[in-house]
Amino acid sequence: MSTLTILLFAPLLSAFLIFLITVLYSQTKQYVYTFLALMGSGLSALLALYVSYYSYFEKQVLVTHLFTWLNIGDFLIEVTLKADALSSFMLLFVAPVSFLIHVYATGYMNNDKSYGRFFAYFNLFVFFMLLLVLADNPIVMFIGWEGVGLVSYALIGFYYEDVKNTYAGNKAFIVNRVGDFGFLSALMLLFLSIPLGGFSFDNIFLGLWLIDSHRLTLIAFLLFVGAMGKSAQIPLFVWLPDAMAGPTPVSALIHAATMVTAGVYMVARFAPLYNMTPDILLLIAYVGAFSALFAAIIATRQYDIKKILAYSTMSQLGFMFMALGVGAYSTALFHMFTHAFFKALLFMAAGAIIVAYHHKQDIRELRGIRASGLFILMLIATLTITAIPPFSAFFSKDAIMSALYAGHIEIFAIAFVTSLLTAFYMFRMLFVLFFSKSEQRGQPTRKSMLYPMTPLTVLCIFAGLLNVPEIFSGNLSVSHWLHLADQSFFVPHTQEMLLMSLNTFFTLAVIVYTYKKYAYTDAIEFEKSDGMIANKFYIDALYTKTVVTVLEKLSYFFDKKISQLLIDGTINSMALVYLKVGNLFARAENGNVRFYALYMLIGLVSGFVYLYWSLRSFL
Amino acid sequence: MSNEFIALAVPAILLFSAIFTLLFGFSVHYTKSRGYFITLGTLFITFLISANGIGETFTLPVLPHIFNSMVVYDAFSATFISLFLLGGFLTLAIAKSFVDNTCFFTHESFVLLLFSLFGMVILTMANELLTAFIALEIASMSVYILVGLNRNSLRASEAFFKYLLLGSFAASFYLLGMVLIYASVKSTNLAVIAHYILSTNLKAQLLVIAGSMLIMITIMFKIAAVPFGAWVLDVYEGASFPITAYMAGVFKIAIFAFILRIFLQNFIAYESLYDPLIIGGAMVTLIAGSLLAVTQNSVKKMLAASSVVHSGYLLIAFASIGEATYSATSAIIFYLFAYFLSAIGAFGVLSYISKGSDKQINYDDLNGLAKSRPIIAASFTIFILSLAGFPSTIGFIAKFYIFTSAIEAGYAILAFFGALAACVSIYYYFKVIGHLYFKESGPVESLSGEKFSLIFIVITAIVVLWGGVGTSLLYDLPGINALNDLSRYAIGSLSL
Repeated sequence: MSTLTILLFAPLLSAFLIFLITVLYSQTKQYVYTFLALMGSGLSALLALYVSYYSYFEKQVLVTHLFTWLNIGDFLIEVTLKADALSSFMLLFVAPVSFLIHVYATGYMNNDKSYGRFFAYFNLFVFFMLLLVLADNPIVMFIGWEGVGLVSYALIGFYYEDVKNTYAGNKAFIVNRVGDFGFLSALMLLFLSIPLGGFSFDNIFLGLWLIDSHRLTLIAFLLFVGAMGKSAQIPLFVWLPDAMAGPTPVSALIHAATMVTAGVYMVARFAPLYNMTPDILLLIAYVGAFSALFAAIIATRQYDIKKILAYSTMSQLGFMFMALGVGAYSTALFHMFTHAFFKALLFMAAGAIIVAYHHKQDIRELRGIRASGLFILMLIATLTITAIPPFSAFFSKDAIMSALYAGHIEIFAIAFVTSLLTAFYMFRMLFVLFFSKSEQRGQPTRKSMLYPMTPLTVLCIFAGLLNVPEIFSGNLSVSHWLHLADQSFFVPHTQEMLLMSLNTFFTLAVIVYTYKKYAYTDAIEFEKSDGMIANKFYIDALYTKTVVTVLEKLSYFFDKKISQLLIDGTINSMALVYLKVGNLFARAENGNVRFYALYMLIGLVSGFVYLYWSLRSFL
Repeated sequence: MSNEFIALAVPAILLFSAIFTLLFGFSVHYTKSRGYFITLGTLFITFLISANGIGETFTLPVLPHIFNSMVVYDAFSATFISLFLLGGFLTLAIAKSFVDNTCFFTHESFVLLLFSLFGMVILTMANELLTAFIALEIASMSVYILVGLNRNSLRASEAFFKYLLLGSFAASFYLLGMVLIYASVKSTNLAVIAHYILSTNLKAQLLVIAGSMLIMITIMFKIAAVPFGAWVLDVYEGASFPITAYMAGVFKIAIFAFILRIFLQNFIAYESLYDPLIIGGAMVTLIAGSLLAVTQNSVKKMLAASSVVHSGYLLIAFASIGEATYSATSAIIFYLFAYFLSAIGAFGVLSYISKGSDKQINYDDLNGLAKSRPIIAASFTIFILSLAGFPSTIGFIAKFYIFTSAIEAGYAILAFFGALAACVSIYYYFKVIGHLYFKESGPVESLSGEKFSLIFIVITAIVVLWGGVGTSLLYDLPGINALNDLSRYAIGSLSL
């Protein structure tokens, strides 16, 4: 058993055990589930730390060959796990953050009647995510990709008794299928285009130059469609806000720190391919920019805590795609790294508030809550997301900003506006929640929910140190470690300094403005909850009108006319005829031996007639 | 173990054990379960011995100075013998609850079972027409009696008589054919016949052709190909479940062993002459079998009729032997294996449900079984899926090989036809699944069956699934590839 095998299969094993126990013994004590769930994710978190340590310091690539999946002729698919720098980097935050959220969830889900089922899903999710990250070829990656989608579906609709949750799960799943269609088509095209000899990433990248540029562009585009679905970018983002129907740990784990980042990871994984298709890269940058701006604008008119965070996730993912789009792959990944911490922390704190205040989620109802511990955590996370120095996201976001500034000034402008909006909507939420004349007291937060937030807070503050840019006499160690096919940018230090100061200055100005507007005032009550922004630019309605209704009509047509009349009718009448013939034929089976012997003779005679006819020339 | 030892040991042990059981049955120490386990043990040991010889290519005349190359032991016969010994073992193992619950399963039944297997072993090893005939009759006679085992059942007695009458009628064709061949060739040894066919012109072979045609007809009777298989519904219905399974799954293997041997060694020269006949036969068999299966109400009769359809699939591969010898032959071997597993399983489940009673099991009797006996229902579903040729079961792979061999031989239309028949088969097979899972039952009587049978049913179900997905995925368990290799070794040992 190699390290990677254990790392990957520990959560699967515990998921399976939990599943078995849930099915077989309904009266199991809760701590059994807790123990199993934490063992599974904890073990893989520890091993993940070890693997990334190994990769970072020893510069070694761990490879484990599990088995040969298919070997038919020249068609060879190996199932291999590989922890190169990129995978190890992903492991470094995916597994530990998952573990922390598991710990948090033991508190959040305490005494839930489906406690066991929840953790079976949760561990299964970790397994699929790790499979996605560790896969050495896109087919195995696709299994993980589909797996996280499936488990995400199950978790969004976790409280399936309420049909709304089920609809939200369906929506997420169906919209993701559109993306998967892109991913799958891209894989098929790649498979056709890559000469034989394995389908691992290395082999694919070696064979890229053989593919003609139009097809390569198509492949890159389709892959990005897959990424759009998973990472909730325009136009496939509609599922993410609705996905908040799931329990809050789910939002923290799946819709903030891990699954939604899969699209970013995938694009970074295919960096050599994308470097050959600059048009698609530009498209990615623009899609990212508009998604970021769009989500930020909507977030300014949201009132549900979790929805605000969901839109901010989409917006931050947009930043990552902007970075990917200008070829700053490692910068994008580093932002994903810091994002995992602060977004998980934000969701956890939000979840703690929700639990403490009787499952209220509307910030207007939650005004004036008094919880100093949660306030500090939330403040740190909010400062981080607004990229105030010296918090970690400052380093990651600033790197994105200067990369954009160096190449595409128009995208830079969008990003700049977006980051100001980010400060606005995040602090709007913070001020409305905690700075109010009215006062609410909730139940104290459980320790098991509070503890996992502490390491995340520390990481929010200090994780930026891993990738300090040269301007602060750092050496970009993460970027060097990842060693991706980054494009290089040059921004003079004075300009970069100026950029940072301007950025920070304006952000602070926005914060002050927000404070003036929302702290200790009732401004939030006067906001109109209708209009373009509050209705999300009518995107959902637009999709319903254009896609859903048209599809519905079409399927109605196919159902009533084509399926029922044409196909069913034909088949039914065929079957009827067949049955009649069968009944007729069954008469021949009348149970009389003399008839049976007669049939045999008929067969015999016809056989000999045939022989005579074909051999008559010899007679 | 030397191959010669294996060659002698398998029939000898079977024969010895049969005679021993026959005598032991009169002793006061005899109990039914002792007789059962002696038989089961014999089958298991002989299977192990025989399985030792497979996996390499060899040919070995058995004691040539005594038998004068009348019997030959080669990889081909070793493979087939292992197959049907395993089949016999599984049939008997699953039939444990049936044996326990019935009073007519006396020690003679075990003896007859062993005798019939002995006959099949000799039939598989026969290298001479007369020996083959005697072996075939030893096997058939035993099966006739096994069909009529339940003397209190009118249906069983009727089936026995019908089978006996028609069987003797069919056997007469074989004898006539053999005479005709002997008239030209002056020998009944397969090697001599093959030499004769190669060394003379067609005009001198007319009698051989006619004779081979007659022999084929007997074989077609045995595998229940239309129009020679009209007996199959009545007989399968009358026989008790384990015997039906045995006839459908196991006996067919031995018949095919013989037919493949004579066809590949001798009559392959007439392949272009026979092909239209075989193709016609395959098509008629597929159509008639499907038609019959669709109209049945009793699950047992449906399975019986569908066994005719399966013979049709086998005939498809048989027709392709001339152009695609290797793939068609291994497809046949694989299909036989797949079919006997699924059929024994399916009949075994029925016999398990019927608890040894003589009652007809209609579709409605299966209602709600999924609730009361989920394991049985799941196993039954697996067998049914495999029979229908659904992916991820062994039946799918088997059909896949059959159709590929047909396409390879240039009979794409035949493959298409087979696929069509498989399509129709969904109707009558899935009806079973529908009744198992989607129909509510009335008050359910508690079914307490034999654990032993249940275990073997489940094992068979797992093997059926494994055969459908098992590649080198999980370490060294033999899967599809291994079976394919085996059949290739087997064919290699025939002197083609």
